[in-house]
Amino acid sequence: MNPESPLIHTKHVFRAALLLLAVIVTLLLGRSLFVPDTWGEYGWYRGAAVDDHRARQVRHLGDDPCAMCHDAESADHSAGVHAQIRCELCHGPVVLHADLEEGEKTGDMPIRRSRELCELCHRELDARPAGFPQIDVREHLSDQGADLTPDACFECHDPHSPY
Amino acid sequence: MSKHPNCRNPRHDKVSRREFLRTTGSAVAGACAVVLVLPEGSAEGVEGADYDWNQHRWVYLVDTTACIGCGSCVRACRAENAVPEGMYRTWIERYEIPAEGEALVDSPSGGEQGFAPVTSSLNVRKAFFVPKICNHCLETPCTQVCPVGASFSTRDGVVLVDQEHCIGCGYCVQACPYGSRYINPTTHTADKCTLCYHRITKGHKTACVEICPVGARQLGDRNDPYDPVNEILATRRVQVLQPELLTRPQCYYLGLDMEVR
Repeated sequence: MNPESPLIHTKHVFRAALLLLAVIVTLLLGRSLFVPDTWGEYGWYRGAAVDDHRARQVRHLGDDPCAMCHDAESADHSAGVHAQIRCELCHGPVVLHADLEEGEKTGDMPIRRSRELCELCHRELDARPAGFPQIDVREHLSDQGADLTPDACFECHDPHSPY
Repeated sequence: MSKHPNCRNPRHDKVSRREFLRTTGSAVAGACAVVLVLPEGSAEGVEGADYDWNQHRWVYLVDTTACIGCGSCVRACRAENAVPEGMYRTWIERYEIPAEGEALVDSPSGGEQGFAPVTSSLNVRKAFFVPKICNHCLETPCTQVCPVGASFSTRDGVVLVDQEHCIGCGYCVQACPYGSRYINPTTHTADKCTLCYHRITKGHKTACVEICPVGARQLGDRNDPYDPVNEILATRRVQVLQPELLTRPQCYYLGLDMEVR
């Protein structure tokens, strides 16, 4: 070929273009392999992560499921001063106890029948709001002439509807 | 075509090219048909299937004057979200402020098992509880430092961690000025309050709000004009934690004392 011809570099340019193409294809392949499917669906994160969070099981379901079987306790509870206290506050999440779709009991509710349970809310503390009912349990029991037993509170007070 | 002379795989004797193309082709066509036929809204009837995150913007309100420090929220959070022992997505701090000198701040086990009476001889004139959670900031330091995009804000205003994508480097744990994040010892990924995203997108309140016996914690929706929390934010004097950091927290406090950080 004539050394003056502009076509003399065709081969080099072709090789460089081929190399560039190979690099681009490798990058695209690598990207499709390593970037998750739903990446960038909503922003710079994996869109499916939102669904992962939403798919988790709801474990606390409020008082309504409890009333399905426990009529008496439920009636007591909703008529007393503890009406605004959720059953699950003392008893734990309902999913530990019942399969609501099947309507079956699946396990025993972990009931913590102890003085400490009452004291979580009602032990006298200076950081609690002044108007909230609080008590020094030791003082109260000695006033009443009662012993400091683990379930002393329940001798007189029904936790579902205390006075 | 005959098989390669070096091939010792007996299975290659049995499938001809024509047969292979026919079976593969019909399998691919079948798969495509299944994808095309499946209706888009096949999740209908599932709780929260019609949830639209463009219709909500979640905020949180804490009334420190109401909190009794019982720790029910901490226990409910652990039960709802399987939070590992020793880690907290929400916790309660107790402030005992004497007339003179340093304030006494404690949070034994995050307040999970309540609080014992203070035995110090300080002349405490002011004492209160402050429940804390992730502030779900609008200007999030935590998501900004994530090197892999595993931490993000949803369109309805919740800061979440992608548990599958997180590499557990812990930058976000360091970046959060409120100490709201931890590295989960089981999964070795960053973990935090999700504002019970699995609950609020299905019409429930967060576990902590649901369980609080005195209404000290409330969940609000900025896009709902009749939301009681919006009413409080509009008419009452509210504060956020460390406003000087300009993180624009979406967890608001009523009755917040200047000692609280």
